[in-house]
Amino acid sequence: MPYLGGEDTVRELRRALSNPNVQSDQLRYRNTILKVIRAMSQGVDVSGLFSDMVKACATVDIVQKKLVYVFLCSYAALNPELSLLVINTLRKDCQDPNPMVRSLALRNMTNLRLPSLMEYVEQPLTAGLRDRAACVRRVAVLGWAKLHNLQPNSEIDAAVVNELYSLLRDPDPVVMVNCLRALEEILKEEGGIAINKPITHHLLNRLKESDVWGQCEVLRILQRYRPQSEDELFDILSLLDASLVSPHPQVMAATLSLFLSLCSGLPAVSLAALERVRGPLLAACGSVSRELRFTALCHIQVSLLLRSLPGLMGAHYKRFFCGYAEPAYIKQRKMQVLVELVNDDNVTMLLDELKGYCTDVNTDTAQAAISAIGRIGRSYSDRCLEILTGLLALKQEHITSAVVQTMRDLVWVCPQCSDTVCLALEGCEETLQDSQGRQALLWLLGVYGEQVSSAPYTLEVFIDGVRSEVSLGVKMELLTTTMRLFLCRPAETQDMLGRLLHYCIEEEPDMCVRDQALLYYRLLHCGIEETQKVLQGRRSDPSLGVLIGRPSEPISQWACSFNTLEPLRQGTVETDSTSRGSPEHVTFEPKPNTDLSDTLNCSQVEKVPSGETGRTPFLARIHTDTHKPLFLASLPFSYPFNKCLCFYMPI
Amino acid sequence: MIHSLFLINHSGDIFLEKHWKSVISRSVCDYFFEAREKAVDPENVPPVLQTPHHYLISIYRGKLFFLSVIQTEVAPLFVIEFLHRVADTIQDYFGECSEGIIKDNIVTVYELLEEMLDNGFPLATESNVLKEMIRPPTILRSVVNTLTGSSNVGDTLPTGQLSNVPWRRAGVKYTNNEAYFDVIEEIDAILDKSGTTVFAEIQGVIEACVRLTGMPDLTLSFMNPRLLDDVSFHPCVRFKRWESERVLSFIPPDGNFTLMNYHVSSQNLVAIPVYVKQSISFFETGPCGRLDITIGPKQTMGKTVENMMVTIHMPKAVLNANLTATQGTYTYDLTTKVLVWDIGKLNPQKLPNLRGSLSTQLAISGNPRYIMTLKLSQLMLVDCLKVSRLDMYGEKYKPFKGVKYLTKAGKFQVRT
Repeated sequence: MPYLGGEDTVRELRRALSNPNVQSDQLRYRNTILKVIRAMSQGVDVSGLFSDMVKACATVDIVQKKLVYVFLCSYAALNPELSLLVINTLRKDCQDPNPMVRSLALRNMTNLRLPSLMEYVEQPLTAGLRDRAACVRRVAVLGWAKLHNLQPNSEIDAAVVNELYSLLRDPDPVVMVNCLRALEEILKEEGGIAINKPITHHLLNRLKESDVWGQCEVLRILQRYRPQSEDELFDILSLLDASLVSPHPQVMAATLSLFLSLCSGLPAVSLAALERVRGPLLAACGSVSRELRFTALCHIQVSLLLRSLPGLMGAHYKRFFCGYAEPAYIKQRKMQVLVELVNDDNVTMLLDELKGYCTDVNTDTAQAAISAIGRIGRSYSDRCLEILTGLLALKQEHITSAVVQTMRDLVWVCPQCSDTVCLALEGCEETLQDSQGRQALLWLLGVYGEQVSSAPYTLEVFIDGVRSEVSLGVKMELLTTTMRLFLCRPAETQDMLGRLLHYCIEEEPDMCVRDQALLYYRLLHCGIEETQKVLQGRRSDPSLGVLIGRPSEPISQWACSFNTLEPLRQGTVETDSTSRGSPEHVTFEPKPNTDLSDTLNCSQVEKVPSGETGRTPFLARIHTDTHKPLFLASLPFSYPFNKCLCFYMPI
Repeated sequence: MIHSLFLINHSGDIFLEKHWKSVISRSVCDYFFEAREKAVDPENVPPVLQTPHHYLISIYRGKLFFLSVIQTEVAPLFVIEFLHRVADTIQDYFGECSEGIIKDNIVTVYELLEEMLDNGFPLATESNVLKEMIRPPTILRSVVNTLTGSSNVGDTLPTGQLSNVPWRRAGVKYTNNEAYFDVIEEIDAILDKSGTTVFAEIQGVIEACVRLTGMPDLTLSFMNPRLLDDVSFHPCVRFKRWESERVLSFIPPDGNFTLMNYHVSSQNLVAIPVYVKQSISFFETGPCGRLDITIGPKQTMGKTVENMMVTIHMPKAVLNANLTATQGTYTYDLTTKVLVWDIGKLNPQKLPNLRGSLSTQLAISGNPRYIMTLKLSQLMLVDCLKVSRLDMYGEKYKPFKGVKYLTKAGKFQVRT
C-alpha cells in the first residue's frame, strides 16, 4: 500500500531514535518506538530503522522490549547480519530471573527465523525445556518446531525428540499439547507423532485439564490410533462421551470426528453418536456468530448427515427457515438443507416458505430459492409448478430467467410436467434478458416445439436479432432449436431456418457457430431420417433421482471429511455456480451411486470442460473426424451438456 | 495452524497484520477483496475462501473483517471460534471492537495477539489470565503511566496459570461481597402475515458479576431447569452435576463473565408479547401506496412493554413516505429505504398506529420487511427461566445476592 509521506516519516523517526536526549528519557524513547510500530502497521516501509531499533532492544523496560521485538521479527529476514547483534541481548534475557522475560526472549529468538542464527538458539532452547516455569517450557517446546521449519531437511536430533516425548507427561497441560503440536511438525516426514496405547490413554485421561483448543488438538491426533480390542474401544468411547455434548462447537465436532473414525466398523454406535450431537449441532446452527452458523450448516448439508440419517433433523426443519437479516450465503445453505428435509407432512409449509424467499432483494438468493423449489418439484411437481408459474407473472427479469431455467431442469427429470410448462412459457421471452435464461427458453422451444403454438414466432424474433446477439451459447442453442422445430413444424420454420443458416455460414464471425451451421447444413443433405435420428434424442431422463425414497448413504462415505474444510470448500464452488445460473451445475450432482453412472463414461466426462467455453474443443474435433460426422454431431444437441455422452448414436 | 491475521476495515484497508510463522505478503488479501466486491454487502462475504495456496477464513465483527490465512488442513470451527475469541478479547479490553479503538491501542493489541498465539497455536486465551499479563487500559492508569513512566505489563507471572482453577486468581479480597446475575432472554421469532408464529425460539444468557472474597464455591439452582434445550456453560461449571442434578455448581471467575447460554426452542412455550396488524398495498394505477400498522399487547401478564421500535425495509421503488403516528415518531431514510418508527412504551388502552401514504416509482419489486425491537423488563412469563436459590460453600461470610430478568426482542420479524 503506497503511503504518502512515508520517507519523511522514516527520516523523522530516525532522527528521534538517535537523539541522545530521547534515548535518556525512557518515556520519550518508548513513545518514539511506538510511532515506529504505528507507521509499520500502516504499511510504511520502516526497515531502514533496523540498526536504531537494535540499539533500543537493550533495555529493562519490558514494554519497550516487546515493541522492539515486534519490529525485529518483521524485518529480521531483510537484515541477517545486523540481527546477530540482537542475539546477545536475547541470550542474556534467557537467564533473567523473571520467567516472563525468559519466555519472551525465547519466543522472539525463535521468531527471528534466520537460519544463520540457529547455532546460537539451540542451547537456550535446550535449557528452556528444563525450565522451572511452565510458560518457558511451553515456548521452548514450540521453539523446536519453529527451528525445524527453518531447516526442514536437517537431521533431527534424536535426543530432542526423546525429550519432547518425555515432556508429554509434563504437569502443565499446555506444555503437553504443545509437545504434540511440535512433534507433529518435526516428525512430519515419518507421518507425525507415533501414537501407541500408553500415550493414547495418558492423553485421554488428561483431556479435561487442557483448554478447548488443546482438546481439539488431542482429539484430532488421536484419530490415528486404532484400539487393539473391542473392550478398549468402548473404554475410549465412554471417556469421550462427555465431550460429545460439549458446549463448544469445535470440541463437539472434533469428538464426533474421532467417534466416527473409531467406530468405522460399528455403524450402530456411529448412529447413536450422531443422535447425541443433534442438539449441539442445531444449537451451532442458531448461534449468534454467522460464520459459525454457516459452518454448522455446511456440515449438516454437505456431509450428507441428512442422507445417512434422514430422520435426524426432520422434526426440526423450522430451525432452517431463513431470517431476513441473514447473509446470502447462509440463506442459500439453509435452502439446500430444506430441500433435503421435505416430506409429505411439511411440503406445504416448506413451499410457502421458499416462495417467500423467491422475491428476496438479493438476486442470488432469489434464484437459489427458485431452483430449490424446482428440486422439490421432482417429487411434488404440481404444487411447485403452480408456484413457478405464479412467479412468472411478476415479470421480474432475474426471477423469470431463474424460473425458465428451473422449468427446463424439471422437465428433463419429470416429462409429465411438459404441458404445464409449455403453457407457462407464453410471453415470457419479453422479460428474459440474460443469456442463460434465453438459452433455457430456446431449449424448451426446441424440444417441445409442437406443444407451444407461438414457438415459430418467438424464434423469428430471435433470428431477426441474431446479428446483434453477443452470447455464443444463445447462438448455438438457436441453431439447434431452429433445426428441431423444423423437424416437427417444417412449413412455418423452413424460411427462417434458411435465413439463419445463411447468416451463420456466410456472415457469422465466430468459428464455432459457423462450423455448427455447416454441420447442420450437411446433415440436411443426408436426408430427413438421418437428421431426425441425430436431433431427436431422449427428451428426459427420469432415472435422475427423485428426492424421496433415496437409499440412505453409509456414514463412512463422508466421515473422513467431517470437521475439515472439505464441506465448506464444496459450498463455495456450489454457490458460485448457482449465482452464475449455469444449468449444468444446478442439476448435475456427481453422485457415484446414481443410476446415471452406469451409462456414463466417467473418464470422458472429466475431460469435458463444462459451460460455454467447453464447446470449442468439441467442434474442433468434428473437423478432424469428418468421416464420423453423425457420431460427433449428436454431441452439441443433447442436454444437459455434461450428460451428453449418454446419448451416443449407434455408429 | 493459523499462519497470519489481517484486520481489514469497512472500506477495505488493511490496518493491522500479524504473522506467526513467516511473513505472508498482503497481496494474499486480494482474493478476499475480490469476493468482497462481488458480495456487494460486506455481510455477504463467504467466511471461507479458497485460493491457490491458502485458505482465507474470515469473520465480520463490528464492521471489521478478521481475516486469517491458513496453509494446512484445519477444523474450520476451531479457526472461526478462535477469531471470535480474538474479537471478544479486544472488546473485553477496550469496551468496543472498532477500527478507531484498535488503532489507538495498537501496541496492546499486538501484545495480546502475541500472547494468544504462538507458532500459530492458541496459547493463552482466557481473559482472566491475559488481563494479568497485559493489564487493560483505564483512564486512571494511563494518567498514572504517563506521569510515572510505568507500563501496563504485569511484572509477575500470572498466578492463575499455576493455580488449580485457571480462570480465577488467588487472593481476591473485597469489603462488600456481592453476586449479581442477569437473566437476559431474547426472542427470535418470525410471524407471518396473519400473525401466527412461523418460528420462535428463545436465546437466553446469564451474565454474572461476582465480587466475592477468597475461593467461593457457588451453586445456582433453577425452578424449571427442564425447560432448557441446549446449554453452553462457562468452563468453570461442573458439567457432571448439571447432567445429574440440573444445578449449576461452580467456582466463579472474578468480575464479569457469561455464566451460561441456553436455548428454548419448543414453540408452544415461547409466547410472543405483542401482535402486529398491518396492511400495505401499492396501487396498480398510480405511483403511490398505503400503509397501516397497529401494534397491541398480547400475553404480557400485566407487564409493560418498553422501548418498542419498528424497522421497515421498504422496496427500492418507494420514494417517500407521508405518514402520521398516533404515538412516537417515525423517520424514513431515503438512501437505505428504511422506515424507523420509534414507539417507546406500549399503552394497552390506546394502541399505537401508523398510517399514511407512500409515493413510489411505477415498478414495485419485493415486499417490505418488518423488523421489530422491543424490551420487556421484569417480565415473568410461564416460559421464563427462574432462579430459585444461590448457595455458597467454602467461605464463611454472607454475600449479597441479586437476580434480574430481562426479555428483549432479538430477531423479531413480521412478514408481509
